[in-house]
Amino acid sequence: MLKDITFGQYYEASSPVHKCDPRVKIILMLCFIVFIFVSQNAFALALSTVAVFFVLLLSRVPMKLFLKNLKAIWFVLFFTAVINLFYSNSGTVLLHFWKIEITTGGIYRSIFMALRIVLLIFISSVLTYTTTPNSLTEAIERLLSPLKYIGLKNAVHTFAMMMTIALRFIPTLIEEAEKIMNAQKARGADLENGSLVERVKALIPILIPLLISSVRRAYELAEAMECRCYNGGEGKTRMKQLRMSTVDLYAIIFIVVFAALVITLNIIF
Amino acid sequence: MAILEVKNLTHTYSGNSPFVNDAVSDVSFAIEKGEIVGIIGHTGSGKSTLVQHLNGLLKPTEGEVLFENEDIWANPKEIRKIRSKVGLVFQYPEYQLFEETVIKDIAFGPKNMGLEGDELDKTVKEICEIVGVKHEFFEKSPFDLSGGEKRRVAIAGVMAMKPEVIVFDEPTAGLDPKGREDVMKIIRNYRKATGATVIIISHSMEDMANLADKILVMNKGKIYKFDTVANVFSNSEELRNIGLNVPIVTRVFEELSDLGINLPERALTIDSAVEILSALKAEVENA
Repeated sequence: MLKDITFGQYYEASSPVHKCDPRVKIILMLCFIVFIFVSQNAFALALSTVAVFFVLLLSRVPMKLFLKNLKAIWFVLFFTAVINLFYSNSGTVLLHFWKIEITTGGIYRSIFMALRIVLLIFISSVLTYTTTPNSLTEAIERLLSPLKYIGLKNAVHTFAMMMTIALRFIPTLIEEAEKIMNAQKARGADLENGSLVERVKALIPILIPLLISSVRRAYELAEAMECRCYNGGEGKTRMKQLRMSTVDLYAIIFIVVFAALVITLNIIF
Repeated sequence: MAILEVKNLTHTYSGNSPFVNDAVSDVSFAIEKGEIVGIIGHTGSGKSTLVQHLNGLLKPTEGEVLFENEDIWANPKEIRKIRSKVGLVFQYPEYQLFEETVIKDIAFGPKNMGLEGDELDKTVKEICEIVGVKHEFFEKSPFDLSGGEKRRVAIAGVMAMKPEVIVFDEPTAGLDPKGREDVMKIIRNYRKATGATVIIISHSMEDMANLADKILVMNKGKIYKFDTVANVFSNSEELRNIGLNVPIVTRVFEELSDLGINLPERALTIDSAVEILSALKAEVENA
């Protein structure tokens, strides 16, 4: 059913990664991604792998949740691996047919590229698993706030507010859609059977009431916000202030050491 | 013969949440043809979950629902057929309106049942007559109507399938006194015209006392009591303990007897209160 759709992948747990300031987390994840790409040889990539798994373990998010994310992109992964298999002709030839040959170099390259993608997926999943959608939006708002100096004064706040409202209303709309579906089913609507055209037509009695109630909700929300004197981002303060703590300091040190080691390994080998 | 029978029905919502709770647990009751049964219970007592089983919107986790002695889930593919026999009017049914005109919206249910042409037209007009949908509204957009009229049209939309059992989930919620009166009148008219069995969920003890033959009291997913109106409202203390109450006029009578005023019986409705008090007055005057 619709209720099974989980939006945002936040996994509740108590870990240093969860405690990390979302702003710091976003920036560090970006650094992580950059340095996974910077890793040019097997040693550097091995170090990246160790570092990524260290963060995964630290986050206390079950491993199977990360693997679930891989499932969604297995095709991309497979495709990358196969393409790269033929991309290199270094090393000894293992297999030769027609004009194609598979070399040890090709296999090395194929594993290297696939592992890189896996690491990217894992490290970006850590961000979504350990940060609530709301603190993510807040962090994005804060990170983009320098844009106000180039004339985008209200845009950043408005954008963040829009995202927060959209996220907030997803469960509400799911619940509403389910109610309307039940009501139309009670009037004999058939949503499960029929040809594609019939099924699309069967959605009309659900979509129209859903659309109307969304518009109604939007008006109500706008009025409620105005009643509480909402007038955009200017002078608005937060109930929960984002504050950096020692966890963030350790996280930054970790990334700096990691980056230094990756660069060193790249130069040595 | 019982038209609708529920046997040992249990429903567990399986969610991702670790707090699995039976919304309805081991509920059994039978409703006779033509009865008006009220269902009362505090918020979250499982009333809405229970009634959604009666027309097969929810499948029992355990137990069964029998319509005219046949398990409605005997053939899951045919479950849609039961929905025209047991009509269900949801809370705030006006939110389900979607068609361009009132008449088209009311025709949605019977059309899904396979009615066409003259037969469809006749059924819809007949229902409009019973429910009191005015002729001048027929070609209007349902979204242009007032709140009370929208609800009238939405109720007509379910009644147009001519269900033998019709279930209402808080049909008067959010309406003004006139609107509430109208809805009660619609329910009475439909019953008079078709002899249907009626089940109503309501928080208004007054409406229950006025309309129902029997009352089913739900508490924490279980049946607390299923008895005649008079018997259910005979113990106000008990009802208050589970977050319910008795009709106001019954409370007035109770308080009066607590003050030591001797009343021959307890009134459940305003009408019966007037009767009892006039009889008492005549008695005093005669003495």
